[in-house]
Amino acid sequence: MGTRRRRPGVTAVVVALGVSLLFASGCGDLSRDELNRGAESLSALAAQGELIANGVARDATKSTYARVMAKTLGGEAEHEAEKLADAEPSPEVRKERNAAVQIAGELADLFSELQTFPGDERRGALVEKQMGEVKEQADAVVERLTGEEA
Amino acid sequence: MKSILKIALGIIAALGGFLDIGDLVFNTQAGALYRYDLLWAVVLGTIGIGVYAEMCGRVAAVTGRPVFDTIRMRLGFGMGLVALIASTFVNVLTVAAELGGLAIVLTLLFDAAFSLFVVLAAIGLVIAVALLPFGGIERIFGYCGLLMLVFVATAIHQHPDWSTVAHGFVPSLSGSKLYLYFVVGVFAAALMPYEVHFYSSGAIEEGWTEENLKENRLNAIVGYGLGGVLACALVVVSGYLFHPLGVEPGDLGTVALPAQGAFGETGLLLALGGMMFCVGGAAIDSSFSASYNLAQFLGWEWGRYRGPEKAPRFTVSWLVFLLLAIAIVLTGINPVEITEYSVVFAVVALPLTYLPIMLLAGDRSFMGEHANGRISTTLGWVYFAIIVVLAVAAIPLLLMTNGGGG
Repeated sequence: MGTRRRRPGVTAVVVALGVSLLFASGCGDLSRDELNRGAESLSALAAQGELIANGVARDATKSTYARVMAKTLGGEAEHEAEKLADAEPSPEVRKERNAAVQIAGELADLFSELQTFPGDERRGALVEKQMGEVKEQADAVVERLTGEEA
Repeated sequence: MKSILKIALGIIAALGGFLDIGDLVFNTQAGALYRYDLLWAVVLGTIGIGVYAEMCGRVAAVTGRPVFDTIRMRLGFGMGLVALIASTFVNVLTVAAELGGLAIVLTLLFDAAFSLFVVLAAIGLVIAVALLPFGGIERIFGYCGLLMLVFVATAIHQHPDWSTVAHGFVPSLSGSKLYLYFVVGVFAAALMPYEVHFYSSGAIEEGWTEENLKENRLNAIVGYGLGGVLACALVVVSGYLFHPLGVEPGDLGTVALPAQGAFGETGLLLALGGMMFCVGGAAIDSSFSASYNLAQFLGWEWGRYRGPEKAPRFTVSWLVFLLLAIAIVLTGINPVEITEYSVVFAVVALPLTYLPIMLLAGDRSFMGEHANGRISTTLGWVYFAIIVVLAVAAIPLLLMTNGGGG
């Protein structure tokens, strides 16, 4: 949720618990399924970003809305990037993992641009186009992982 | 003319109290994931809330007994207490979810700190309750909740393939656990018990008698029916816009995007305004419902019309529930996640409150000529069976789907 505020203490406890569980279970590999879910989430975020940027480009939105949504979704993209970067991929999906991390980073940057310029129509149009391209890249990762069209 | 106006106001009040954060979240997610396939579940839930509300309103008007008075009488203290604890737990979660939702909408409109808006929203609700009469609260939130009609206009503007939309009203089940989870979620979001507890107690607040039974029936059919139309519109607009793009609407702000797509900034503002009043109204309804239940079960003086002097414990409990909700939201838990849990737990607790009402509504020694007829009895038992099945399935589905996360 974009407007939620996580307390550092709570987050630390959750992270510590998660790490302990990983060690306890003895498995830290990023599986194909997990990576696929991550790539799908990135595609979904890019699609939302495209819609929000479209509103900015058409001067058809409220700047506070565009800014808050961009902040929220950008945070989610960053979180996804960190999650993917921290995970140890199994060798056969390493290449796709790296691609997904890069896509997540690009998404976070695009949301950051929307957040900074929620009233700039020209930038909005540019971000909309780039969001579309990033979505295609994320869909391509999904396609390569599943062998199905995303 | 006056009576027509009164009925209209009642219908609007029913409509305003119907759409809450649970409906917004589950219906939008259902549309995004399954396009129009879950419209039938919305209709099923809408008829269910209509049946339940009509019985509660009728019992309140004829016997003067609100829901938890009836529950204690029918179930006894022990089981009644279980129902009270379960309902209170769900109600507090719901108040927290609605308050969090209200703060999110305010953040989207005014872009300031979320925690600040949580506190401001709660203060705003206290002021509204302190200054407005009961009917005024219902009308303001009900009328302004009509801004949600922008989603109906959006659905028409999108020109979906209406035959595909119509196909969604035909019930279908799939083996997918996620699909079944959303069937439970969409149904339960429509049938949140606080809505009915508030409605029943509100009938007593407004001094309903047998003369109001026609109004009660119209509220149940037309009011909740209109609410159902809005809930269907949310599924349709989301199914049309989000499903093909693969959007996963996990944020409340995403719900407003289709209205922006159709009508630009005006559409966005209407959608956010409608959401603000629906969620705000639901925050009042659910917090009142928690206090009504407690006061009625324990035999305290209760009611907004009595004022804090004559019903002090009722008033204090209302404030305590509101403070608890603030505390929950300020822990940083995502209000949408709270919503999902409150909706699922609500369906688990529902049989405990539904059954006593249905039994009393059918009891001729209490209800006389206004006891359940053949149609009400049949519908009542059919829905009880559905509710029990969903109550049993709800928690396992929540766990198996990782809270709808797949």
